[in-house]
Amino acid sequence: MRTPIPVDFGFTDEHALLRQEARRFFAERVTMADVRKLADDPLGHDPGLWREMAELGWVGLVLPEAHGGAGLGHLHLALVLEEMGRRLVPSPLLATLWAGFALEAAGSEEQRRRFAPALAAGTLLGSLAICEPGGSWEPHDVAGTAEPSEGGFVLRGLKTHVLAGAAAGLVVAPFREPSGELALFAVELPAPGVSVAPEVSVDPTRRTARVAFDGARVAASARLPGDGFQALHATCVRAYAALAAEMVGGADSVLETTREYAVQRKQFDRSIGSFQGVKYPLVDLLIGVEMARSHAYGAAAALDADPAGAETWARMAKALASDVFATAVRKGVQLHGGYGFTWDCDLHFYFKRALWARGTLGDAAHHRRHLAADLIDGSGDPA
Amino acid sequence: MSAAEEVEPGEIAEFRREVRAWVGANKPADPGWKLPQTFLEVESERQFEFLRAWQRKLFDAGYLGLDWPAEYGGQGDTLKRQRVVSQELNRARAPFLVNTIGLQWAGPTILAHGSEEQKRRYLRNILSAEEIWCQGFSEPGAGSDLASVQTRAEPAADGWLVTGHKVWTTLAHYSKWMILLARTDPTVGKYAGLSYFLFPMDAPGVTVQPLVKMTGEGGFNQVIFERAPMPSSALLGRLGEGWKIAMTTLTFERGAAEGSGGGQATSSAESVKRLVSLARRAHRDGRRAADDPVLRDRIAQLWIEEEALRIAALRMRVPALDSERPLALRLMNKLVYSEFNQRLAELGCEVLGPDAALWLGDPCAVDRAEWPRAYMNSFGMTIGGGTSEIQRNILGERVLGLPKSK
Repeated sequence: MRTPIPVDFGFTDEHALLRQEARRFFAERVTMADVRKLADDPLGHDPGLWREMAELGWVGLVLPEAHGGAGLGHLHLALVLEEMGRRLVPSPLLATLWAGFALEAAGSEEQRRRFAPALAAGTLLGSLAICEPGGSWEPHDVAGTAEPSEGGFVLRGLKTHVLAGAAAGLVVAPFREPSGELALFAVELPAPGVSVAPEVSVDPTRRTARVAFDGARVAASARLPGDGFQALHATCVRAYAALAAEMVGGADSVLETTREYAVQRKQFDRSIGSFQGVKYPLVDLLIGVEMARSHAYGAAAALDADPAGAETWARMAKALASDVFATAVRKGVQLHGGYGFTWDCDLHFYFKRALWARGTLGDAAHHRRHLAADLIDGSGDPA
Repeated sequence: MSAAEEVEPGEIAEFRREVRAWVGANKPADPGWKLPQTFLEVESERQFEFLRAWQRKLFDAGYLGLDWPAEYGGQGDTLKRQRVVSQELNRARAPFLVNTIGLQWAGPTILAHGSEEQKRRYLRNILSAEEIWCQGFSEPGAGSDLASVQTRAEPAADGWLVTGHKVWTTLAHYSKWMILLARTDPTVGKYAGLSYFLFPMDAPGVTVQPLVKMTGEGGFNQVIFERAPMPSSALLGRLGEGWKIAMTTLTFERGAAEGSGGGQATSSAESVKRLVSLARRAHRDGRRAADDPVLRDRIAQLWIEEEALRIAALRMRVPALDSERPLALRLMNKLVYSEFNQRLAELGCEVLGPDAALWLGDPCAVDRAEWPRAYMNSFGMTIGGGTSEIQRNILGERVLGLPKSK
């Protein structure tokens, strides 16, 4: 059963204030010069900025108040992430959010009390490790194993493209138990038997890693008791919506930058934006960005209304954001002409962000495959 | 299972249930002969009377003009419930309302710019379909460049004499009135010389000639005026305000503003749901179309877009979620719907495979060749009311602030 999207999206004055505050905060605190500097920084984010975000309550925005969070909703989160995407803010926020989602979905009260307040306070960076060398982000495809041993578990498997994997102090990852069922494990890093190798990401504003579990022994308390498959599924749905909102911000920024350039740049004695060969692709991009924004807000509002039926909306949001962001950077670079092809022009950072984001958590074709299965066959399983 | 309609305030939800039940019980049965898909191809008396009776029935039941003031035949509804009726008609695939131009374009324009007398004279009969309206804007030499209209209205004893040539005048052959854009002053600039009239189609000197659409159907006309008289009361607004008022009409025509008396311009708005049901039945390449992975991907893409349009319609009603570019969603409405419908109808033809080539009259044509017809008819919507190219210019200039194209 699909969650109907509330006609007013559940939008309140509080949302408007938060958006305004986030926009002002990131505009003041994160310039493109900062992004360029952090792109070359070994850590890849600004710990001072991260502390401020935690103090503002944004790191624990959707974590329950009982666990140190602000207890707000997905639409709040979407509005903050959209602003971060607009400015390409290098930050461990998404990774920490995703780990928090998983912890909430499967963790015991004790586990949640142990980790969530530290995540919300920004003192513990979280990470979620789903993808494996097969290249799938779907819970079904997890192959890594967890074997009970001496009152604990032995974890085996390679997790790839783990966001903030090297900086994280806590990684949540799914493994298959001997029964074939999935279970989620929360593993504090560093840990013996777990090796973390930073990847060289095309997107220098994102840090990813390969996390290898080579027979890592973990205590029984590392296993989250909730149904692993259901919990990971629910986590992914929330993660699609969050990433989509951030991507919409990025795409919107590319549209705005390219629009400005098309007005200022003169050739043949006129603004190139007066040529229909430039104007029409920008208009098509405008339409794409607005449609993707509608889906990002729709998915967030559906998650706030009833997360159990939000999968369709979250997949649609991620699929459309992936396509639109990809189109935005392609058109953006092209319409900036020779300048767009240079290192000096900031667009290449967005270009690389889009390359990273489209394939992360499943690309557009992947989600359409699941949507088609839902729509045509009435099941969530793609043919 | 659409996104939009389900969670809404109780009084709207209750009204929706009532309308849904009424439409279910009163929607006319398939007459067994071909009904037009859109208001562009009403070509026989039989079709026209069938459609007119349906509109009248809806009006008598109190489901038209809800948002229009009561003194002009409406109901002065403050909840803006007319859109609920339109959505339910669409949902039920009920026949379109034949007085489309009156309900959706002329009526709201008269409400916005008409004198008290004009509002009292015209609006009620629009709702009841007693008087049908057509639109006299385009000319052979004035299509996308609408302001270069050459049809003249020259002052005469008690009004004006009209001379000129209008084209694409849908429903002109059944119309009592025309919203007419004509040049009243050839000596001033092309915009300032235009005025807007409510022209009586039964005037002498008016000839209506049918034009035939690419589907082979008529209903779409040209109108020749040879010193056709109209009274001075035919003027809407002030002399020389024609362009401004025509823009009001186009704003309604493009769905960029609310204010319709009701209904929709097509009965057979296709949907992704119908496309899926077609894909389950149709065979191509020796297998069910629904099992073709490429078609599945494209159907899913259109589903995403269909839902995006529904969610956008909700977003427009929450101003704060629409504040980045306040005009964008409204001004893109006509463009995105018409292009979406075109791609949907085209994909329907692809789903049909070789059977898409079967036309009306062939016993094996699927659903009376509904999909190839819809595909052809879709161009009426991407061209009429300002082409998609003109819509892109408007969006580029008014929303993105790009300089005018020369």
